[in-house]
Amino acid sequence: MKLSAIGIQRLLRASSALVIVGLLLEIVSLLWFHPLSFVLFAFVAATLIGLGILVYLVSLVFAATPPTGNRN
Amino acid sequence: MIGILICQIVLSVVLAAVFLILPSVTTGAAWKVLAFIGLCVLPALCIVGGMNTHIQRSEQTQFCISCHVMVPYGKSLYVDDPTHISAQHFQNHRVPADMACYSCHADYGIYGPLKDKLQGLTRIYMQYVSTPPNEITIPGGFKNAQCLHCHLGARSFEENQIHAAIMDSLTSNQMSCLTSGCHDTAHDVANLSHKKFWKPVQ
Repeated sequence: MKLSAIGIQRLLRASSALVIVGLLLEIVSLLWFHPLSFVLFAFVAATLIGLGILVYLVSLVFAATPPTGNRN
Repeated sequence: MIGILICQIVLSVVLAAVFLILPSVTTGAAWKVLAFIGLCVLPALCIVGGMNTHIQRSEQTQFCISCHVMVPYGKSLYVDDPTHISAQHFQNHRVPADMACYSCHADYGIYGPLKDKLQGLTRIYMQYVSTPPNEITIPGGFKNAQCLHCHLGARSFEENQIHAAIMDSLTSNQMSCLTSGCHDTAHDVANLSHKKFWKPVQ
């Protein structure tokens, strides 16, 4: 159980880091008035944010899975 | 609008930073809800908001001419010659001046904005990765639908005897508004150096 909690925390950290980097890049893309800013947003920022959300959802699945010993 | 989006992004960053530094706080129920908002709901809204802002921005004239190859086309909007169809539309506000390129070049079909965006990305690819073409052309040619989107149903357009006589050919795109010899000067970027330009007061 302890190991699982550590795993969830790692996933949360990874998710937060991905979301933060993605969001900061989104701010850069919004302030940069250039055709490449859309590429930066769509292919880098949105991908990182999406990955962050996905990692967070995976961590939820981990948290919802009961430990093997408690299963009936 | 962009200010609200940036505030939302900053809020998301702050919340995500809390879970980056202290992931163990998510053991409490309230923190779990906050984690769901900070790491799922708000970032998803930021993607939607960002996409919307970028698509709206790409409809602006300034955005189109921010591309180096488009600068002469932007300049051609100021040509002081009423036979230049794009300049005439731009200068007389027959199209919104801040969305001049988009108004005449947008695909007004149901998936038009998506197709336009994909075409824009193809051009960015050609510019930075592949080889840009020597001459800029519109894939499939300029379609009458883009003119008729505004002009069809307009009294001055329909009461014009020439337009009325060839209306079927125009609506079916058999005869082009631009290349059939009627309105054949659109941008003429090759001869811009010989042109006189209009200077707006403001």
